[in-house]
Amino acid sequence: MDACFYFQLHQPRRVRRYQVFDIGSGAEYFDAAKNADTLRRVAERCYLPATRLLTELARTDGARVAMSISGVLVEQMERATPDTLKSLQALVAGGGAELLSETSHHSLASLRNADEFADQVRLHRHMMKRVFGVVPRVFRNTELIVSDGLTPVVKALGFDAMLVEGADTVLGWRSPNHVYASRSAPSLRLLPRNYRLSDDVAFRFSARDWSEWPLTADKYASWIAANPGDVVNVFMDYETLGEHQHEGSGILDFLRALPGALRRAGVRMVTPSELATRKPVGLLSYPGPMSWADTERDVSAWLGNGLQHAAHERLYSLRDVVLGTGDLELIGTWRALSTSDHFYYMSTKWHADGDVHTYFSPYATPYEAYISYMNVLRDMEQRVAGLKTRLKTEGRRPETKAPARSSRKPKAAKAKAAKAMAAKRKK
Amino acid sequence: MFGWEYPPYAAGGLATATLALANGLVRRGHAVTMVVPFPAAAGEGGVRVVSASDVSANLRVLRVASPLSPYAASSLPPAPWGRRTRPTAYRDTLFEDVSDFAVAARRIAAEHPHDIIHVHDWMTYAAGHEAREVSGRPLVAHIHATEHDRSGAWTHPGILARERDGLRDADRVIANSHVTKRHIVDEYGVAADNVDVVHWGIEPPDDGDLHLPSPFGAGVPIVAFVGRLAMQKGPDYFIEAAAKVVARHPTVCFVVGGAGDMLPMLFDRCIALGIAHRVYFTGGLTRVETERLYRIASVVVMPSVSEPFGLVALESLRAGTPVIISRTSGVAEAIANLVTVEFWDVNDIADKILAVVNDPVLARELRERTNEEMHDLRLGPDEPARLTVESYELATTGP
Repeated sequence: MDACFYFQLHQPRRVRRYQVFDIGSGAEYFDAAKNADTLRRVAERCYLPATRLLTELARTDGARVAMSISGVLVEQMERATPDTLKSLQALVAGGGAELLSETSHHSLASLRNADEFADQVRLHRHMMKRVFGVVPRVFRNTELIVSDGLTPVVKALGFDAMLVEGADTVLGWRSPNHVYASRSAPSLRLLPRNYRLSDDVAFRFSARDWSEWPLTADKYASWIAANPGDVVNVFMDYETLGEHQHEGSGILDFLRALPGALRRAGVRMVTPSELATRKPVGLLSYPGPMSWADTERDVSAWLGNGLQHAAHERLYSLRDVVLGTGDLELIGTWRALSTSDHFYYMSTKWHADGDVHTYFSPYATPYEAYISYMNVLRDMEQRVAGLKTRLKTEGRRPETKAPARSSRKPKAAKAKAAKAMAAKRKK
Repeated sequence: MFGWEYPPYAAGGLATATLALANGLVRRGHAVTMVVPFPAAAGEGGVRVVSASDVSANLRVLRVASPLSPYAASSLPPAPWGRRTRPTAYRDTLFEDVSDFAVAARRIAAEHPHDIIHVHDWMTYAAGHEAREVSGRPLVAHIHATEHDRSGAWTHPGILARERDGLRDADRVIANSHVTKRHIVDEYGVAADNVDVVHWGIEPPDDGDLHLPSPFGAGVPIVAFVGRLAMQKGPDYFIEAAAKVVARHPTVCFVVGGAGDMLPMLFDRCIALGIAHRVYFTGGLTRVETERLYRIASVVVMPSVSEPFGLVALESLRAGTPVIISRTSGVAEAIANLVTVEFWDVNDIADKILAVVNDPVLARELRERTNEEMHDLRLGPDEPARLTVESYELATTGP
């Protein structure tokens, strides 16, 4: 039996409480201080200790995991916690983690705009190349969102495999513990998450009323070994390690003991790109969009009510004019507003899953999240209109080309130049 | 059950809540004897009403007020007990009435068989204590509003002491929100294990024609305030926010529904802010008038400084109108689909009023979600009675 561990790393740029009175005032959209504080806290509790531990386990036990790091997080780490970024670079360089691809801004573009989706995938690819020196071969979409319409697009963007939710409704009688292929893109491998074994760690690890508490690494490894099939895919948020499951729960000790326990149980740690070379046992079809979130496993956590739809529509109605300005800063801001979390905060699902939503939301209510977000979009609409008028009076035409590639090129080129300079200095 | 306010002699939410609870208990098959400190009208819905004034000729006053916020200006029917023989200070009479009520309670307890004694707010705690002396039945003290809620920083030491002693003396305590529970546990040292939280339920609206054409014409959004014009309800913050909204909206009108000692001050403030033409004061409203106001309003704002529960929010939502309420009010625990604010943050209040008034998607979403919630059993009229009976059982058997 093999086991594939994958962790998602992501922090949104949370929008601050932005009132109607802020429109036109030039006030910041994002709560820079809160975002930096949150990132530092999560870095201290999770990113740094877990990454150091994984780096050490890679060296001593040959542990290998997979990770995807959203572009919005990398940008924030570059500014607020460069040491965290360094530790992740060391982990990747040491072979302890394989990086996966995703959208640069952890967005829902795949559900709304194919061009934007492709742009954001390319942006992320460039960023991984620039920051980590690798080009990922395996894709995972925001919150594992997948549909039959999406898989051919992912294939066309050059990926071999994609991570998906191993939902009962899709698998039916079949086990998630195999490599599958997409019905609508048969050359794209699908790696379904084993949600039971994933949630045992992500949600139940510190639940004292759980009959299996406390969960030891040996017990967990024996469950994986006893599962039927070829490979158990354990996918979760990286923040599970020390943040969602706090350090006092013993989660890091669990992680430390895991590679040894897996070895003793005869379980090999594999990465998604290794699985991508295997022959699929069958085809999976996802007629409607499916994700790893909430009990419904659909996209209702982000686009489930009228507020979320209205906000998402209004954002995308601005895309052409925003890209048309050629203003790189404005385009970056618009993309940062496409991050799925903004819509998650507007969710009005109050039942069992609502608690999870409240836990993650910086707002008192979803209505507050919506009001701030819509005020921000109104300000952006006015800014764009102002830019257009200015360009017109100056007699210039706004750039019309999509600046996805070009917007990154200067930065990438700059980084290259900086590298060359550094190399020169060393000599 | 000993109550101080009970319809038709009501000054605030206490009467509404007591009536709803008594009716709920009767619907669940319990017999309720309601003891009130004024000449009793016939009981409604199977609740037997016994008047303590039949027993003690001295009992006259029924409404509670603190020195700085007497409920005096509210629109009550003329009180038949209003003849004051001794022109003493208001406060002194109040305490006298409270102890007269307690004396009467001894006789009533002996004459009316009962299994449980249930008292509502501090005015009735002494009566409950006396009744238990006579019958030996368990005493449940219900707290709807603390002295702090009524009077803010100017609390009355005598009332504080009676409230504290009454709650500590009871076999079981029912608080109408977690906010209130926390307060009595922290401030009065009431054992937390001994306190059950029972949120208020809501009865269907009174009969009568609840629909009213908007007096401002179609398409003019109306923002309403409903409640006593007293400091604790924050009507001054409502006016300040109104000024900010008027500056950004061409037609919106504000209606202040209620009476109280802050009326002249609010009036002057509207003139000073130059918004007198957009703010309308109705004075005290009857039940039906209040229901009509909820129905013509686009949004109801409740910026209470201190609000142990906040029945206005439930009533407004029942009428299908979204509410913007103070984050610390008790009702915020019970309902999820609210727009919440800090009562002092007038920019925030104004921003949210504008959002609801200008954005049909937001208004519709709020209406639909709250409508779902109002159909939830948790807020139904029978839920408080069910939880109260559970509390009775704990009072009888011990936890």
